[in-house]
Order: sequence, then C-alpha cells, then structure tokens
Amino acid sequence: MTSLRNGLGWLLWTLSALGFAYILGPLAVIVASSFGDTGYIAFPPEGFSLRWYQAALTDPRYVGGFFISLRLASTVALLSLVIGTLAAVALTRLDFPGRALLEALFLSPLILPTLVLAVALTLFFASTPLLPGGTPRLIAGHLLVGVPLVLRVMLPVLRRVDRSVEEAAQNLGASPIKAFLLVTLPALRPGLFAAAALAFIFSFDEVEMALFVGSAREAPLTVVLYGAAQMQFDPTVVAASSLLIMLAGLLMLLQQVFSRR
Amino acid sequence: MSTTLTLEGIEKRYGATRAVAGVDLAVAPGELVALLGPSGCGKTTTLRMVAGFVEPTAGRVLMDGADITRLPPHRRNAGMVFQSYALFPHLSVAENIAFGLKRRGVPRAEIADRVRRMVALLRLEGLEARLPRQLSGGQQQRVAVGRALVINPAVLLLDEPFSNLDALLRESTRIEMRRLQSSLGLTTLFVTHDQAEAMAISDRIAVMHQGRIEQIGTPRAIYDRPATRFVAGFIGRANIFDALREPGVTLAPAEEGGAAWLLRPERIALDAAPAEGANAAAGTVEVVSFLGTGTHASLRLPSGRLPEGPAQWTDQFKPGAPATARWDAAALVPLRAA
Repeated sequence: MTSLRNGLGWLLWTLSALGFAYILGPLAVIVASSFGDTGYIAFPPEGFSLRWYQAALTDPRYVGGFFISLRLASTVALLSLVIGTLAAVALTRLDFPGRALLEALFLSPLILPTLVLAVALTLFFASTPLLPGGTPRLIAGHLLVGVPLVLRVMLPVLRRVDRSVEEAAQNLGASPIKAFLLVTLPALRPGLFAAAALAFIFSFDEVEMALFVGSAREAPLTVVLYGAAQMQFDPTVVAASSLLIMLAGLLMLLQQVFSRR
Repeated sequence: MSTTLTLEGIEKRYGATRAVAGVDLAVAPGELVALLGPSGCGKTTTLRMVAGFVEPTAGRVLMDGADITRLPPHRRNAGMVFQSYALFPHLSVAENIAFGLKRRGVPRAEIADRVRRMVALLRLEGLEARLPRQLSGGQQQRVAVGRALVINPAVLLLDEPFSNLDALLRESTRIEMRRLQSSLGLTTLFVTHDQAEAMAISDRIAVMHQGRIEQIGTPRAIYDRPATRFVAGFIGRANIFDALREPGVTLAPAEEGGAAWLLRPERIALDAAPAEGANAAAGTVEVVSFLGTGTHASLRLPSGRLPEGPAQWTDQFKPGAPATARWDAAALVPLRAA
C-alpha cells in the first residue's frame, strides 16, 4: 500500500514537474538568454552581461511603449473591473428572463481568438465614427476581453457571498447601496484584485488588437517588440521581453499576497 | 416603549404558488410568538415580509398601528437574528455590534458605551477585537443577538436562531434568549421548525401549514386542544383515530363532533385486565423501551395499528404479553379535518 502510494506520488510529481517545465521552459530560455554577452541571441547564454537591459531601458521606443502600455492596461483594468463587477452583481442578484443567456453572451468573447476579434473590430471601426481612432478604440477592444475576464472571476465570488450578510446590514439600518459598499465589497476584495490583475495582464500582453486597431504613433510595448523582432532581432528584444515576464510574475505574486489577507 | 406588531391578510404569491396564503396575526407588546411549522410552510417568508426583505403580494404589516408594508428594510426598526448569524466577516465583534448604531448616527462616545454594555450583557468580554471566524458557534450566536438588540429595535425577529448550535447549548441558549427578551419587554416573532423549542419559550405558538396559520394559542392550548389533524400530528406524540369504531377499539368521547380524534400517549394507562366496553383496547405488547424517565410500551391492536403507547413506571409488561389500554372519555380530543 505504502509503496503503491509512493510510486503514484513519484509519478504525479514527475508529471507536474514536466508540466511546469513545458509551460515555463520557453520563458526561462528568454530570461536566461537576455543575460548573454553575445550580439545575437544564444541559448545557453554565452558570458554574462546586463548591457541588453541597459539598451532596452535607454531605448526611447521601449520606454515610451512601456508607459503607453501601462496607461492602456491600467485604464482597461479599471474599466473592466467596474463594468464587469457591476454586471456580475446584476447577474447574480437579479432574476430576470434571459439571465443565463446574457451571462453566456457576456463570456463569449473569451472563446474567440483575439486575432478574430481584432479583424472584426477593424472592419467595424472602419464603417463607424463611433470612437476616435487609436487608443480609445484599442481600449474598447480590450474591454471586450477584459470585462469577461473580470466576470469569470467575480461571478463565483459573488455567488459564494452570503446574501444574508447584506440583508443583516440593511436590517441594521444601512441603505441597499451602503450595505453593498460596507459589507459586500470588502468581502469581494481578494476577487477584485485578482480580476483587475487578469485584465491588466491581458491588456498589457495583447498584440493582435494593438496591431490592428491601435495607432502607430501610440504603439504599446508589445507592438514595439513585435516590430523589433521582425526588423532587428537582437538581445534587446529579449531583455525587454524578460522585463515583461518579470512584471507579470510580480503582479501574480502581489495577487497571491493580497488574496491571502 | 413596547410595540404591537400586526399582520393583516399578508399574502405572498410566486407565480401560481402561494407561499403565504393570508396570514392574520397580532403580537402584543412584549409578547414572544413562535411561527412553527415544517419547511415550506411559509413561516420564513412571513418573517421576511415583516423584516422587509420580501414584499407582500397583498395585506399589510403594522407596527404600533403605522403601516410599514412598503418601507424598505433599513427604515424599519426591526432587529433580526439570522439562522446563519450573517455576521460581518471583516469586522470585529465590537464593530459588528456597533454597526447599527453607526448607521443611526449615534455619537461615538455613546456607541462605545452601549457596545460595552451589550458585550457585558452577553458575556463576550475579552472577545471584542476578535473576528467572527475566530469565535465558537455559541459566541457567534451571541454576537448576532447583541447586534440586533443594541439598536433597541421595536420588534425582534428570530429566524431559527438556535438551529446551528449543538443540543446542550441550544437549550441553555434559548432559556437565556427568553430571559433577555422578557426583561427587555421586546415584542418578538420567532421562526422555528422545532416544536420543543417553540413550546419551551413562547407565549403563543402559531402553527403554520401550507401558507396559513392553522392554529394559534398558548403552548398548553396547542398541545392539549389541537384544532386540526395537522396540528395534533405536528406537536407532540399523537394517536389519531379516524373513526369511533375500529376492530377491537370503541371510542366514546366526552365531546361530540370531529372528523378525527386525538389521544395523547400519556393519557393512556396499561393493565392486564380484559377490555370491556368503550375507551379500552386489548392488544399485544410489541416493544418495551426504557427511556430513563419512564418505560415506553407500544401495543399492537387487532386492527394491526401500532399506536403511540403510554409511558409507564412499571416494567410489568414484557413483549408478546397481552395488555389492555384504557383512557378517559375526556382524553379524546375532536379534530377538524384540515
């Protein structure tokens, strides 16, 4: 019995390790080769140098792209969070005909490749003066995925929250809005952070919509990287990519820390 | 300062189903009335209509004569203790208790004072800074009670407040609750499915069935003189006879009328003499169980019926022995069908 369990344990451990290696391996290759000292990308890296990081961090295209991406992703995260959370509240608290259908509709952009969305948006925006071109349109495009991502996280969180806690607040004299703000919202906090982080990371890392819908003058970092990777594939691209990977990792770490509390 | 709570023809329909089908109830100042019934009888919906969480389809809710039917929950001065306690998970014990006072704009110093007194009253000293998840079930229950009482509510609403406590704690807690309620003179509506609980602490019990109050009265009146078959069967152990005569048994009740007849087990005496005439039934002792406070024997009658037997102080009957059950004509209570 013990040996069987140990055998099974080893098997599971090995499978998990292989799974993680498969997922994280390419990232490790990028990060590792970014420290190389050669003028071309090599793995395993030859020598050790931080000069590609220095190059990436002093290149105005990368730095500018980073701040454009940061602004874009923050805006998308915030708007997704507000719209998605309110939609999740409505979908879990109100009972109306077509509720399940609406929920499925809200989540449907998640199953489409972003390239398809990007092409569709290009065609759509070509025939409408609905939003000023460039970043506003890109934000609208990113919301198509950001809002469902927030919904995905917030729907189960809201369904788990004990409704009677909000009722208790009302019973004690809090108006429905106050009850939501004082009692339900604090209970949602870990979920809110996770949802915002997801939307942020999606928007920050997204390429297709940014290429199709965004403006060339306000190119986010991913578009700058995409262009650089095509034009001059030197280790600066890898260093900038590594910085992106580390940023995403940091965000996930923060999310874990916040949801623990 | 005590409030009268009146329900007038309260009704709640969900589509075609009537969860509450016309409830009239007047709770006197300082009175504790239990809404007792099986799940789905409409008792919780009735309580939630008083709290304002469910809007009645018809009828009125009055507090001291003022119509509050359309008032939102936060404008009614009703303190409610929820079955799940519904404590605010991110707030400490003291903050939970202070919540209602803050919403009422009570000055800070007075809040601190009233919270301190409530904490002392409910023996929660030393736990003020704890979060709800750091408390035992009994302590959580006391916080829920304190939070509802500290606002000096006009009426107190209890939704199965003891059902999540273990059996021993449940009994001591309900006595404590009753003591608090009567010392504060709080008009109270108490929802429960536990008949022993309702009998133990209520001034009056309203037995609900299929959205209606089937009978309302003191615990003694409900137990001794149940009006219907349902009430007789729901409260206490009951033998119910549908006819005055069945094989081996003839009933001769003291009162006329009735679609069925109730005979409580403790009104039955067992002896070894042969059965003669009415209000006696000969049968065979089937099961004898020693219960500590008495010995319980069940008797199989010739009709095959196995009535709820009497509690006897003797162990003279053995399983399989013949025995005769006897009772007074006055022990037979006539019951309405519905």
